[in-house]
Amino acid sequence: MTGATPVVAGISAIEASLFVFVVLTALATAFARDVLAAVIIFGAYSLGMAALYTFYRAPDVALTEAAVSAGVTTVLLLLTLAKTTRIDHEAAFESVNYPAAGAVGLLFAGLAVTMVDVPAVGSPDAPVWGNPDVSQWYLAETYAQTGVENTVMAVLAAFRGFDTFGEAVVVFAAGIAALIVLRREVFA
Amino acid sequence: MSDASGGEASDPADEPARASAGRLDAETRQGPPYTESQVIMSTVKVVAPFAFTYGLFVTFHGGGSPGGGFQGGAIAAAVVFMIAFAFGIESTRQWLANTVVVALAVGGTLVFAGLGLVPVARGGAFLQYDLLPIPFLDPVKYGMEAVEIVGIAPIVSGVLVGLFFVLARGFNGEGSGSPIGERGYLDSEGDEESTDGEAGETGGAGGADETGEVDRDGGSAGRSATDGGSR
Amino acid sequence: MSVVDAPLAAGYAVEDFLLVVAAGFVVLAIGMLYRAVKGPTMQDRVLAVNVLGTNTVVILAILGAALGEPTFLDIALVYALLNFLMAIAISKFTVERGGVL
Repeated sequence: MTGATPVVAGISAIEASLFVFVVLTALATAFARDVLAAVIIFGAYSLGMAALYTFYRAPDVALTEAAVSAGVTTVLLLLTLAKTTRIDHEAAFESVNYPAAGAVGLLFAGLAVTMVDVPAVGSPDAPVWGNPDVSQWYLAETYAQTGVENTVMAVLAAFRGFDTFGEAVVVFAAGIAALIVLRREVFA
Repeated sequence: MSDASGGEASDPADEPARASAGRLDAETRQGPPYTESQVIMSTVKVVAPFAFTYGLFVTFHGGGSPGGGFQGGAIAAAVVFMIAFAFGIESTRQWLANTVVVALAVGGTLVFAGLGLVPVARGGAFLQYDLLPIPFLDPVKYGMEAVEIVGIAPIVSGVLVGLFFVLARGFNGEGSGSPIGERGYLDSEGDEESTDGEAGETGGAGGADETGEVDRDGGSAGRSATDGGSR
Repeated sequence: MSVVDAPLAAGYAVEDFLLVVAAGFVVLAIGMLYRAVKGPTMQDRVLAVNVLGTNTVVILAILGAALGEPTFLDIALVYALLNFLMAIAISKFTVERGGVL
């Protein structure tokens, strides 16, 4: 990015508007009274998150968000809703549960305290740059060591391959767990 | 429920019949039955091949662009969802047999584990790609691609499609998927399984169907519960 | 030096212009969010989320151009293909609340 990008207090216009969008959708999802409306707004939330990930140059994460949220999560939630009963609501929004809101507020405050120590996006003081022996090594050596250009995939499949094996087995176990919980032997 | 039953509510004369019918397949179910949408079917016919090809591209091209097995598998599973929504879940279930779904998930896991264990057998570490016996090609690069394409992508797509079918069938023992209890697995309470499922079903629907004093919402709630049972 | 680095006016490049345009599209998305939240019917929400998806495709494409990363178009393509799935899933669901799925 050039230095001339319009920036107010370190946040550009696109970041600020995406933040507003994501926070609004998250709040609307939490407070929507009707579950179907919450599912639909949650789909909108993932759209904003994918754009935010893209802006921070994490295209692999954005692609995962896009594929999983637009393609999978909404459909599975809708299928689950189709198998449940519905309570009709007059109000569009849930009334606030104050103990729960207080707990969430405390958690938010606790997390906000740590924000002071988080380096700004792109800051040269960030550990990513301050520790070049680790992160920069992967960027420099990925192609020479593995023959692929996508560093994220190289880290997932080669440098941290055993972790990825664990993740794949977790996905497999999730399918089996669904069969056990629903007391079935076959998927189809 | 104004949104969901908007088409039916336009015919108030049949309202009591609908409330007492309660089931989609009942004779007295009012209004014309919902037929498959021509628009959705023909659009899906056009879109699905492209989406599936794109899922394969994301999987196979994960080494050079964003993506990889997980994302590609999710997109491929989304194509199956698309087809199921257009042509009906039951016919998709028959088209994509349980064997295929299970073979994808189990096969992917076994391939991943096998690719990890072959180097161990040859005296190396788990997933040490340069010991893979791949002739003529760079074993590291193509070992990683094999893990992504033959390992992760089938696991993700198989499990997601399986979850889709399992959730579409719902929780109870009717239908072709035999409940575990009937075969005696996981089953300390013996043959109570079948009554178990029915108890859960009438628990949701019975209040609406039997007392007879249902309002519209009670009727639709009972209908969706019993419908879940019959599918 | 690509097109997006070309100076436009007063020290701003095309890249900055594209980012501001993307921010404008996000503001439009926030406006559309009102329809998705308020409803009042589910058809309103289906349409709103469909428009939001198309909006996101545009935002992602502009971001890809502004940041000089053509691979970002991959994500826009995924949304373009799968947003359709979200729309038909929700709209078929609203018929008899999933009874015809």
